[in-house]
Amino acid sequence: MATDAAAVPNPPASSGCPAMKAEFAKHAEYLNTLNDKRERLVKASRDITMNSKKVIFQVHRITKVNRDEVLSKAENDLAAVVNQYIAKLVKELQGTDFWKLRRAYTFGVQEYVEAATLCRFCKTGTLLSLAEINDSLLALSGQSVEPLQLNVLDYLLGVADLSGELMRLAIGRISDGEVEYAKTICAFVRDIYRELTLVVPLMDDNSEMKKKMEVMLQSVVKIENACFSVHVRGSEYIPLLESSADPGYSYFGAPDFDQ
Amino acid sequence: MRPAAAAATATTAALRLRAASLSPSLAASLSPSLAALLSHRRSSLILPPLRRICSLAPPHSSAAPNSQPPPQLLSPIMDAQFELFRAQLDESSTLRDRIRAVVAEIESASRVATAALLLVHQPVPLADVLVKAKAQVEVIKGLYARLAEVLKECPGQYYRYHADWRTETHMVVSMLAFMHWLETGGLLMHAEAQEKLGLCSGEFGLDVEDYLTGLCFMSNEFPRFVVNRVTAGDYDCPKRVLGFLTDLHASFRMLNLRNDFLRKKFDGMKYDLRRVEEVYYDVKIRGLVPA
Repeated sequence: MATDAAAVPNPPASSGCPAMKAEFAKHAEYLNTLNDKRERLVKASRDITMNSKKVIFQVHRITKVNRDEVLSKAENDLAAVVNQYIAKLVKELQGTDFWKLRRAYTFGVQEYVEAATLCRFCKTGTLLSLAEINDSLLALSGQSVEPLQLNVLDYLLGVADLSGELMRLAIGRISDGEVEYAKTICAFVRDIYRELTLVVPLMDDNSEMKKKMEVMLQSVVKIENACFSVHVRGSEYIPLLESSADPGYSYFGAPDFDQ
Repeated sequence: MRPAAAAATATTAALRLRAASLSPSLAASLSPSLAALLSHRRSSLILPPLRRICSLAPPHSSAAPNSQPPPQLLSPIMDAQFELFRAQLDESSTLRDRIRAVVAEIESASRVATAALLLVHQPVPLADVLVKAKAQVEVIKGLYARLAEVLKECPGQYYRYHADWRTETHMVVSMLAFMHWLETGGLLMHAEAQEKLGLCSGEFGLDVEDYLTGLCFMSNEFPRFVVNRVTAGDYDCPKRVLGFLTDLHASFRMLNLRNDFLRKKFDGMKYDLRRVEEVYYDVKIRGLVPA
């Protein structure tokens, strides 16, 4: 039966195919360029992550005696991370690619923020601000290139991870006898947690951040518990492996005679 | 009274944690050497000194934890920074709400257009079907213009908010491409699609991957379309659709795709192609294809 719908016209004879192929050749090139760039970013991000982690482990080796040399080595390593690896991000992330390819490099940047803020805290007890980090990155780009400026989301994610490292630092310092230091860390992490609770709900796509907040609370509680144990034990809590421990104390501070 | 009771005001979770840390197995929160020493000493201690540890009297301590006030951190710096973040994120959050409002309208206009196009499965004159759909395209064009206006306030952040209009754009492109084929039998190119939506690559453009995904959605329409056209008596349709879809599939094969959403949708295209081939075969072997 003949159709009553107006018949669809025949496609332009042979031009449909070559025109399509030409069009898709362009798209193929576009996608290849995009994916290659993505791969370069992922590689740079992995390098940044690995080297930032090394800086963090370096900082954890800190003790009362070697503080200055540990921190200066850490800072040098951090500067190397910036100059060698973060520099690679600069030219790739021009224009809209900064946001388009964020998933490719965000982990590296977060790890770097974690390492940089940890170093700064160990040095001065303050939080390295995003503005300061971004100022330090301006040097990486010349005049013709758009400077790489970290976005607030990556910074906040990095700071959230910082609390975990600070928890390890605090527990480690307690074992080394630096109880006051642990308390400083405790107050600092509490401050960060408090500030972040107000900011997290406003963040784009914050499921990741919410998980980090749960972990952060656990870290805060661990530090608080450690400080609590130290407080309650008071004089009992002597660093047993320290050579400077007063030999007059018996273990646990229990006197040798009944009271 | 165990020190734990002093923490009665803490949350239950914290309380549980604190209780756990007071148990003999508190090795977890202490360095391994100290913990080992503790367990060793505990076994050789006689009871009275143990009681002393748990006694009420506050332990005399040279560490005197409360004698020093907590060191003042430079909170003002921290606070100012976070104030700024709150303000910025609040702004972006508001922007996102405005974007979502416009996108909701795009979605609804797109649905009206797609519903109008559904009439092609019935014996309705093509011109009539297209009229309503075209009217919606004008509406959608206007809405994308509004979206572009909103985004002008944050230059360079197209991709920050891109996910909010991605899905709707797929549907719109699919609908536009299908309409274009119905009218001309050819493929709607990326530049043409961009023009139809009143967009331009410089500022607010049509993302290439969105365009390609939209084409994959369009291909999903063809099997059903072809079946119904044959039922309505149009035996020429399968051949034309088959030619078109084969070309499209071959063109897509030129692309190197990652294992993402686009790849998944493209993988579906071969099944559409197969089903159209089967319809064409059914029509051909029964000698229904016009000479």
